[in-house]
Amino acid sequence: MHAVSYTAQWMAAARSLESEREDALFADPLASALAAPDGFRLIERYAGGGLLPFISIRTRFLDDAIGELRSDPSIRQVVLIAAGMDTRAFRLDWPEDTVVFEVDHEPLLVEKQRRLTELGAEPRVDRRVVPADLTREWLPDLEKAGFDPARPTLWVAEALTFFLTEEQAGGLLNTLGSVSAPGSRLALDILGRALLRSPFSKPFLDRLADDGTPWIFGTDEPEEFLLAHGWKVDAIKEPGQPGAGEGRWPYEVQPPERRGANRLWLLQAEYLEG
Amino acid sequence: MPAPGIEKVSDWILGRHPERTHLAFEEDLIESRLVDSLSFVELVYVIEDASGVEVDFDNIDIADFKTLSAIEKAFFAGAGVS
Repeated sequence: MHAVSYTAQWMAAARSLESEREDALFADPLASALAAPDGFRLIERYAGGGLLPFISIRTRFLDDAIGELRSDPSIRQVVLIAAGMDTRAFRLDWPEDTVVFEVDHEPLLVEKQRRLTELGAEPRVDRRVVPADLTREWLPDLEKAGFDPARPTLWVAEALTFFLTEEQAGGLLNTLGSVSAPGSRLALDILGRALLRSPFSKPFLDRLADDGTPWIFGTDEPEEFLLAHGWKVDAIKEPGQPGAGEGRWPYEVQPPERRGANRLWLLQAEYLEG
Repeated sequence: MPAPGIEKVSDWILGRHPERTHLAFEEDLIESRLVDSLSFVELVYVIEDASGVEVDFDNIDIADFKTLSAIEKAFFAGAGVS
């Protein structure tokens, strides 16, 4: 599988561990089977730095963004970009007429389907897998699967922007905007820049780079970055704040004015028309 | 004799790790994961509060934070302050 797919197994392992907790932020019963064969080894390899709680808090934050669809009938089209071993189509309550697209590399999607079939897992929504190479033109693949750019969309980009250059991350936001009907929304996470520069992150970042999945992009001005690419942020959280794993984050939430803080941004944004 | 104030740094680190009761002056804080990338900023503010020295985030030398001994030398010794 492609190197980023190891990341998918790692994330699945993290979701599996979270699901076993008494105070779990979500339950993903499929996660442990999707984490094989490398996921739990990678948990050890990348341990520390708040990663496990961050993955759990982020999962829940994005689950909640999707949950908002239930009280908002305007969006019934959801695209999970670089979905990895995500199982939201199988474990969340979806409004009845929703369509969910999972975009990722074909080998990953094939292997994921093989395992899900073996587990007898049934999606709880109209789920459509879209094999695509995100480094190339991939919107035609999405449209071939039934995506309708005339309908508002919720885009979910979980753990994706880290692996891109700033230019690629901006390009991705532009691409999403180009097929976003008015009212479309975006939910994602972005790294802070300090985290990528801190000498204390270096051993971890070096391990990621050695494994072919370097973290590259981060910004300390996520709202400005999204706005420059057509997206207006209407919810911004850092882990540990209310609505973002309050009580589950093992660090102090740093006040905004504190310089040098490693920040992890959880964001929701609305597409600016035109 | 350790410099006054350095025990506040030691106490803060131990406070984050209830499984530990003792922290050696030469113990590697990074390798042992006693301080990680996210708690680092808190460590810096504890050092600033305890020493009165302002840390320049743009020119951090990781060697200054590797052990309690290095922290003491860099921020509490009164000389060689960055």
